[in-house]
Amino acid sequence: MATSLATIHALGLLTCFALLGTSRIGACIRWLSLQGILFSLVPVLTYDDGLTLRIILLAGGNIALKGVLFPLVLLHLRARTNYHREVEPFVGFVASILFGVVALAVSLGLARELQPALSHAPFLMLEAAIFLVSIGLFLIVSRRNALMQVIGYLVIENGIFVFAVITVVETPLLVELGILLDAFVAVFVMGIAVFHITREFGTADVDQLTTLRG
Amino acid sequence: MQTGYSIIAMLALAVLGAVTCLLLSRPRQILGTTVIVSALVLGLAAYLWIGVLGAGFVTAAEEWFYVDAFSAFHLIVLTLVFLLCSVFAWVYFSNEAGEHPFSRPVARRFGALWLGSLAAMTLVLVSNNIGIMWVGMEATTLLSAFLISLYPTRLSLEAMWKYLLICSVGIAFAFIGTIFAAAAIQSAGGVQAEALFWTRLASPDAHLDPTLMKFSFLFVLVGYGTKAGLAPIHSWLPDAHSQAPAPVSAMFSGFLLNTALYCIMRFVPPVRNTLGAGFADGLLVFFGALSIVVAAGFIVFQRDAKRFLAYSSVEHIGIITLGFGLGPLGTFAALFHMFNHSLSKSLAFCAVGRLGQQYGSHDMGILSGALRSDRLWGLALLGSILSLIGAAPFAIFMSEYQLLRAAVSDGAWVVLAVFLIAGSVVFVSALGHLIGMAFGDPKSPVAPSRIRLPAVVVVVPALALLLFLGLWLPPWLLDAIGRAVAVVGVHT
Repeated sequence: MATSLATIHALGLLTCFALLGTSRIGACIRWLSLQGILFSLVPVLTYDDGLTLRIILLAGGNIALKGVLFPLVLLHLRARTNYHREVEPFVGFVASILFGVVALAVSLGLARELQPALSHAPFLMLEAAIFLVSIGLFLIVSRRNALMQVIGYLVIENGIFVFAVITVVETPLLVELGILLDAFVAVFVMGIAVFHITREFGTADVDQLTTLRG
Repeated sequence: MQTGYSIIAMLALAVLGAVTCLLLSRPRQILGTTVIVSALVLGLAAYLWIGVLGAGFVTAAEEWFYVDAFSAFHLIVLTLVFLLCSVFAWVYFSNEAGEHPFSRPVARRFGALWLGSLAAMTLVLVSNNIGIMWVGMEATTLLSAFLISLYPTRLSLEAMWKYLLICSVGIAFAFIGTIFAAAAIQSAGGVQAEALFWTRLASPDAHLDPTLMKFSFLFVLVGYGTKAGLAPIHSWLPDAHSQAPAPVSAMFSGFLLNTALYCIMRFVPPVRNTLGAGFADGLLVFFGALSIVVAAGFIVFQRDAKRFLAYSSVEHIGIITLGFGLGPLGTFAALFHMFNHSLSKSLAFCAVGRLGQQYGSHDMGILSGALRSDRLWGLALLGSILSLIGAAPFAIFMSEYQLLRAAVSDGAWVVLAVFLIAGSVVFVSALGHLIGMAFGDPKSPVAPSRIRLPAVVVVVPALALLLFLGLWLPPWLLDAIGRAVAVVGVHT
């Protein structure tokens, strides 16, 4: 179990750095899909009592949404709306990667802080969860393209998923379904919003959205 | 328990109403449906409130739904404001023509999202499970986003995107806080069936882990605080409120913000139990005071009437949050203030929205002489803004006075000074804006409009209630608010 978790951890960090350093949105969406699938496997590996129906549903549903459906929606949107295929960051790629390194160090420190209170949570996954949330936030504030902001939001969602899975062993299925449903609707709502914005502004660049101030 | 069914009936009515709106074909029928559904839900909420005041709490669906005096009071405010806004929506959209006709697709979208938001907010207030509470909160964001851009213009889309993204991230943070709380329940040996139940979380013998609860509250405060419009994470609020159609802004300010604050307050009793009163109260007071100061600074420079009202909402949400942090006396003032603010603010947004339709602008320079051009809505504007800035004898004067007393008895002198100074700044600058809008000379002649019944139904009862509560707080209401305070305001 420990080695497979370490593999997921390493590959997961790789997808984060790839998202920070990739310039084409299509490639970013594919990295996001890989990240979604990787971290969907965490519940299968961390629960001691083996594969129950609940865990299969949870992991399967998550792979279907974050690994397949959301990336498809995003790719479709990119094809429909985006004239610029580049990420167009406010913060350059090298600086972004540097931020990633700093964020990784901070996540390590925070995870060490939290470990005593969450003794049954695997340390590597705790650190990965914090790292995912910080990278997601960074993508949202540092990227100009609305699609990249949706990608950032989904990276945060991945982090929260990992965090929920490792800290709370038993949540009622109803609550989990509600949460998945919310993520599902959120992506569609954001998708429709991006579509409207592109139709109205002719671009999905959010630095056009600056009329309302003060 | 029989009253428990009224909880389920409220949710079912709102959802059914939303679906019905999608099937109806005439805009008037859709607007009528929203009014009828809101009225019925208000009736059910009142019935539930009486039941709660009698029995202490009401549960349904094996304790997944749980309504106590605190949530019942919020439900009453929600349904009352919602009915007011629904009747106003009838007035507003009946007069909407020209550039943005209230066509069938727009009406259907409005009706379904409007009643859907009602269902989501009700779900937040009646859930015992903090996970489901979160689901409801996220649903309000997703449903109400398209209410802002009901007419997709550049500005409304910009406001909607900001709202959607900032609040989604905020709500995601609130979810992290919820997970921390669940982990705390689990580490205290909670069993699966009651994991995430608020009744379990808040019970005094819960023995929760202090570190986990500390993180939980920080994330919940920042997360739900984003949605409540607490400074410095309020940046979506003025945009969304200024660009949304007036009934939607009225509902946002009138209750959506309170819903988020309600979620924060649900986490306060367990945090007080595990970490002592100081931690949660200190944070509430800090964010409350900061919001008041930031809002006061922005109010001075506003030109757009709806943005002015939006910043005033940031100020009042700050006042309510501040009150929640000032002990039982402050919590009482906060709850009373919440009711008064919801009513005044939704009325103010209605007035500005209706006058804006007649003047063709929300600029406070252009919106002048409202009392002369439209007596009813001019009066509503004058009354509601006077109430909002805390002029006697309106009810907000009373609740702010009680808040001052709470601050004095708590010995919170710095807070008292901040509150008084910021309050005076708001009072003076808002009065300046108001005098021009109410008594100035109309810049261009506006045809005097006829006073119609639905508009009277919105304005007169709301103003009368605000005046009445400013002069006399009935003992039964005093008792009802007191019981709500007992749910969240007990110090250990």
